[in-house]
Amino acid sequence: MVLAVDIRNLSKDHAGEKALRGLTVGVPEPCLFGIIGADGAGKSTLMTILATLWDADQGEAKVLGRDLRKDFQSLRRDIGYMPQRFSLYQDLSVMENLDFFADIFGVTGTLKAKRKKELLDFAALTPFTRRRAGQLSGGMKQKLALACTLVHEPKLLLLDEPTVGVDPVARRDFWIMLKSLRARGITLIVSTPYMDEAALCDELILLHEGSILARGKPSQLIAAYPYRLYRVDADADVPTLTYPASKAPPEGFTLIYPSSGALHAAEPKAEKRDPFNRLRASVPHSAAVTLIQPALEDCFFALLTGAGKSTQP
Amino acid sequence: MSGYSIETTHLTRKFGAFTAVDGIDVKVAAGEVFGFLGANGAGKTTAIRMLCGLLVPTSGSGTVAGFDIIRESAQIRTRIGYMSQKFSLYPDLTVAQNLKLYGRLYGLGKADLKNRIQSMSDFLGLGPLLDKVTGELPWGWQQRLSLACANLHSPKILFLDEPTGSVDPVSRRNFWDLIHQLSGQGTTVFITSHYMDEVEYCHRLSIMIDGRIAAMGTPRALKTEHACASIHELFLKLMETNSLPATRSAP
Amino acid sequence: MNLRRLLAISRKEIRHILRDWQTLAVVLVMPVMMMFLYGYALNADAKDIPVMIEAPDLGPEVRTLIDKIDASQMFKVAGVIPVVDDAGELFKLYGIHALFRFPPGFSADLRRSGGAHAQVLIDGSDPNIGTMIRNAAEPMLLGATLQVMNIRQPKVLDLRSLVLYNPDQRSALFFVPGLMALILLMISALLTSIAITREKELGTMGQMLVSPLRPLEIIAGKIIPYIFLATLDGLLILVVGYLAFGVRIAGNPWLLGACSLVYVFTALSIGLMISTIAKRQQHAMFIALGATLMPTVLLSGFIFPVASMPIFLRTVSQVIPATYFLEIVRGIILKGVGLDVLWKPVAILAGEGALLTAISLRKFKVKL
Repeated sequence: MVLAVDIRNLSKDHAGEKALRGLTVGVPEPCLFGIIGADGAGKSTLMTILATLWDADQGEAKVLGRDLRKDFQSLRRDIGYMPQRFSLYQDLSVMENLDFFADIFGVTGTLKAKRKKELLDFAALTPFTRRRAGQLSGGMKQKLALACTLVHEPKLLLLDEPTVGVDPVARRDFWIMLKSLRARGITLIVSTPYMDEAALCDELILLHEGSILARGKPSQLIAAYPYRLYRVDADADVPTLTYPASKAPPEGFTLIYPSSGALHAAEPKAEKRDPFNRLRASVPHSAAVTLIQPALEDCFFALLTGAGKSTQP
Repeated sequence: MSGYSIETTHLTRKFGAFTAVDGIDVKVAAGEVFGFLGANGAGKTTAIRMLCGLLVPTSGSGTVAGFDIIRESAQIRTRIGYMSQKFSLYPDLTVAQNLKLYGRLYGLGKADLKNRIQSMSDFLGLGPLLDKVTGELPWGWQQRLSLACANLHSPKILFLDEPTGSVDPVSRRNFWDLIHQLSGQGTTVFITSHYMDEVEYCHRLSIMIDGRIAAMGTPRALKTEHACASIHELFLKLMETNSLPATRSAP
Repeated sequence: MNLRRLLAISRKEIRHILRDWQTLAVVLVMPVMMMFLYGYALNADAKDIPVMIEAPDLGPEVRTLIDKIDASQMFKVAGVIPVVDDAGELFKLYGIHALFRFPPGFSADLRRSGGAHAQVLIDGSDPNIGTMIRNAAEPMLLGATLQVMNIRQPKVLDLRSLVLYNPDQRSALFFVPGLMALILLMISALLTSIAITREKELGTMGQMLVSPLRPLEIIAGKIIPYIFLATLDGLLILVVGYLAFGVRIAGNPWLLGACSLVYVFTALSIGLMISTIAKRQQHAMFIALGATLMPTVLLSGFIFPVASMPIFLRTVSQVIPATYFLEIVRGIILKGVGLDVLWKPVAILAGEGALLTAISLRKFKVKL
């Protein structure tokens, strides 16, 4: 198997904290590879290192078969990088932004015209070529930013939380674009705080305090879910059920938290007692309890809180 | 005077030929958690700026905490708290210095300020971080500090503009815990978010499309009415049937 | 070095400049405004300074002297008072800058013994005017007195001074070179350092670094538009200087242009140096103002003559590019001299620019 990214024992200190602690991971080629994790887990640090903008303190990394540290100049031709909260040049138009990125990557002549046309169609920005980037809506800005990072046809695309602040429709469109890039054989590494987006990845790592807490296909992570999961719905006369994080879970349960408009309660698979009675004892207005399949968000909760891990607020 | 925390009648704002907010009618009761949803550029921020008295409506009227949003914006501003993703704390100040600064900006007296900082930092778990430099804290903690600053002067109404952007699920869950606690104490919470799973915890919500409110009600009623399994589904459905989102832009 | 990529950066920078019309307006209007400020408001050519005379006896000699004072270009007699109790009160009340006191018996003394005492009280609160009055009062009064007494001055030394290059001592000829030094430095050092740090602040610098762009291309591409802007302002100053203040270039205008470009190069290298240190636009601005503009105004010889500075400051002024540029511009505009005289300051400017550029290119990080 060819690896687009091959990282061994990567460590990096940032702002006095250990941002990455001996990370080892391989990303196959091609792949839509997701990075999830709490805030401060090291996602952006890893992205910035892979983008050749920071050097790791320790460890080795090969990207597209080349040494990340030694061959960074040549790698820069083959990598596309979209930093967190990337905002382009607000005072330049859509077309001027695209032109600029084409020019600095040496895409010229008829090839440039062709790529620009393709990308504008791809990003659904063809009607807005003369509009200033600052006048675009949040979703369109992100699509333009993606188009700009694609203009030199990179083999590896690094996207750091590209859909933050983007509405659900634009977010869905954005991921359709990522999927089609993946289908063309590009490797994408995407970090995201959205678990529904993570579920669309081929493979995922969950970072926690600079180390990998879990890795696998979304289906594998879900299959490895250690609990039995119930959904608790509210009485018709109560808008939503809540359960404070500070309160201990109901007897026999390991976890309970609001999710998708209901409460999700997880108990060890060995637990034999009737869940409904135990839940009703500590959750007022609980009307219905159904056994459900966990989603990635449930895995995230299980991995980050279940194992006694602390997380950010 | 109405009994509502927030009440608007045909609130409208135009920028030139462009109508950003197009005659919205919203009523929010005291202590309610109200989700104010919409696509990027649908007019949410413009509406919030009018409610906070930062922008004068082109037509229509509204009251916030019982005060007129056009004539009494000064009274409104002392009774609301505002927090947004862009809302900037001073990154080079410590947590305690930021809190003190905002307290003084809102005119809290010395003893009052001390009490409020104490109780807010207990409430939000900021105690151990008071002497840390704000800019060096993880994003989730900075968000929490923003909430503390917005809430320091015990406002009756909190406007939270995308407070949970870029925050992981566990941290968001904890953040929503706080929102519900504040609501339980009687604070009205007016919140925007692009996370359709978390807005299911709102008491009521509205979905704005092209400056108009396309749907409003409790999450449960809305889902039943539109035969959707989730608000996420409802949002996508409404957007597809009601708008040409690409033709609009944020002013 | 790839010309196409370099031009892409320049094109983008020109768009930024043209679209930020407020900054552009400041850049184009400010030099003209400063010229008129220096030309009129801060006029150093003193005329009709109000003074008063204390003279208890108004003999014919005293009266003649008073007429002479009033007739001079510099002074204007605001009043003659027989006895002054409180001179300080008089200064405050009438806003005069000097009080000439001719004691009782002045005329008689003069007639009897051929010598007399007089006094001038000078308002020192404005040192410029104070010094001027002091320098002018004695020779003027002495000359007038001799004339009154009909004494021809014995010819011991006949010193006739003739001012060359700026015979009328007009201040326009003095501030036009100074403003050129200041404005060119400001555009080159301040604006470029801000333009580069802005990319860092926006995060677009990272984006440019993750591309085949080389540091030299980024830097040169960003700088070129500012060279044009600086040239435009330089021309603006010369044209306004000629039209409004009649300042002509005595020497070769092309030489002036070429030397200005050398100076712009040096100033740009300072801007680059700043942008390698500063992380935010604000830092860049303060460093640029503090480290370049202030010393230029104070220490280059623009306002205070270098020769009268203490050793330490004189050493500092030897490092400031504007010191050399002033030498060059004054040389070309006023004296009309050529490169045979000015090669040294030109070489020093070029050397400083080359050194700073080399350091900046070295310091320019290809990573964040």
